[in-house]
Amino acid sequence: MKPGGILMKNVTLDYRLYHDRAVSLRDTMLNLFNRRTRVEKFRALDDVSVKIDPGESLAIIGSNGAGKSTTLKILAGIYRPTSGTAASSGRIASLLDLGVGFHPDLTGEENLMLNGAMLGLGRNDMKKLVPEIADFAQLSRFMDTPVKYYSNGMFMRLGFSLATAVNPDILLIDEVLAVGDVEFQEKCYRRIWDFRKMGKTIIFVSHDLEAVSKLCARAIWLHEGKVKMDGNTEDTLSGYLESMQKRHTYTTATPKEWGTREIWFESVRLKNSNGIPTRTFGKGESIIVETVIKSRSATPVDNVVFGFSIHRADGEVIIGTNNLEMNQSLICIDGSLNSSIEIILDIEEPGTYILGLALTDPEAGMDYHWQEYFYPITLIEERKYPPLRLSRAVWKQE
Amino acid sequence: MISGNWGMGRLVLLMESLVAKDLKVRYKRSVLGFGWFLLKPLFSMVVYYFVFTRILRFGGAIPHFSLFLLTGLLPWNFFSSSLSAATSSLLDNHRLIRSIYFPRMSLPAAEVTANLVHLILALAVLEVLLISFGHYPGISLVMILPALILLTMMTAGIGMLLSIGNVFYRDVRQFIEVLLLAWFYASPIIYPLDSIGVDIIQSQKLVQILKFNPVSGFMEIMHSIFYAGTWPSLWCWISLGSWSFAFLSAGIIVFRKAEPIVVKEL
Repeated sequence: MKPGGILMKNVTLDYRLYHDRAVSLRDTMLNLFNRRTRVEKFRALDDVSVKIDPGESLAIIGSNGAGKSTTLKILAGIYRPTSGTAASSGRIASLLDLGVGFHPDLTGEENLMLNGAMLGLGRNDMKKLVPEIADFAQLSRFMDTPVKYYSNGMFMRLGFSLATAVNPDILLIDEVLAVGDVEFQEKCYRRIWDFRKMGKTIIFVSHDLEAVSKLCARAIWLHEGKVKMDGNTEDTLSGYLESMQKRHTYTTATPKEWGTREIWFESVRLKNSNGIPTRTFGKGESIIVETVIKSRSATPVDNVVFGFSIHRADGEVIIGTNNLEMNQSLICIDGSLNSSIEIILDIEEPGTYILGLALTDPEAGMDYHWQEYFYPITLIEERKYPPLRLSRAVWKQE
Repeated sequence: MISGNWGMGRLVLLMESLVAKDLKVRYKRSVLGFGWFLLKPLFSMVVYYFVFTRILRFGGAIPHFSLFLLTGLLPWNFFSSSLSAATSSLLDNHRLIRSIYFPRMSLPAAEVTANLVHLILALAVLEVLLISFGHYPGISLVMILPALILLTMMTAGIGMLLSIGNVFYRDVRQFIEVLLLAWFYASPIIYPLDSIGVDIIQSQKLVQILKFNPVSGFMEIMHSIFYAGTWPSLWCWISLGSWSFAFLSAGIIVFRKAEPIVVKEL
């Protein structure tokens, strides 16, 4: 195989799913000693065969849980297929979780050297790369600062620069392009485009269909672990969108609330950036979700994950994330806490959406309080002038 | 299989980097720093010294009992710290393991190696102490090198097994603490078996049984070469050697087998 090529043949990957479902107190007690009562196989990828030639730029799309990230992890060598084979040739750079190998107490340079070793780079190669990486990340001045003093943006910038500095033949990207400020994001896109122009293979997993159609010539649509469509991006995207619309016309989203309520939302208020309570937000305006969170526990509870989701009116999830996923500080609550999220959206399609909130502790498997489909919001696009623009007009005479 | 080209050179560099990180990070913002690796066994030495010379009084039979204690407590401290650290090494790095590929066996192995660096420094300090109290080393001191290599192999092997076990059952971490407590008293640390010519244990049968303890061999080697300045008995080498190869090969085989499953379980 030429460098940059990838071949997946009949790849199947199973996860084990654990269910601890305690129905009664007796079951709970028994489960203390025999926790993993039921183990179920979950097939994340089912007989996936894909051949990617060097220089291709391929997008993987599909709904949550379709197996997109699993595919990337197999290509990155993190997971081994349960059956089938995955092979590639050439150096791989994976942008799966930026800056994950950084230790907060080490300086930028120490972290780069350590991570270089983890990526399998030699010491001399790495020494040469460090100034380049620092320069690209615009962090040359901070190379001797421990990374715990970096802002979130600086941290991600260093991660991105490191991951792409190795001159890869294959680049794996998992929706990480929300790196730093707008200027740096553009720089990232430019670097990825440069890789594309240099004829590197790019595998891009994203929910951002616009970015997908810009960057990738070919797209694979995964559905429940199977390849549903594999072809040029336009065809695959339209097939995917069509099915999404069909699937969601039948469901309606009614407010749902559940959880243990050990920690709960006492009150929730939506405001705009001027602090005025509203449910209508314009382009570029922040949505500020102000909450009062209370805890029943006598002791402080930490590592609480505060998440939100935004759904279409029919219930389709558009955005769903939390402070853990966004690498921001988790919540520690002792009795009562005022906490807020500032959400800034790029509105592609104005309309009515529904906001949901959640307090969880995924590590302990706790759902404290969920409010799904709870807060309808209206997103408006500002009026543009001129509202129409002439694209073409043709006069003909027979 | 997709993975970087992990030759021996790269592997060594990875281990070096991980160990260096461990050492750097551990003593950031710590006033005494490496001193703690010495202080912990020194504190326990003081405690055991009082208990076993003033209360239980068998220590009186051993001259310079505190130095004798120290020769065993230092390697025990290495052994128990390494195992505790190795046990949680995979879980502590779960995000890293799930986002890039690298030989994961290096994680428990690096924990053990970082502790080995400490042990070697601590042994140097111990040797100075021993000489100042008139326990001069013999040529047998050279045997510390093969003994340390074997001990490290054994500890790494057990550490790999524990790190895998801990991913499936978090109980392993709790269990190992209890186990280490019992293991400590079953090992010739506060008492000798037959290395220094003092018989503390009356029953010969018990001595023979205790020789099967995987760490007995190493502890008695320590007593012989550091405390008594004599050549270690043959049984020590046979015991240490066989346990080391057994644990290391079991560790590597199990780790290799379990690795693809563990990555998904983390």
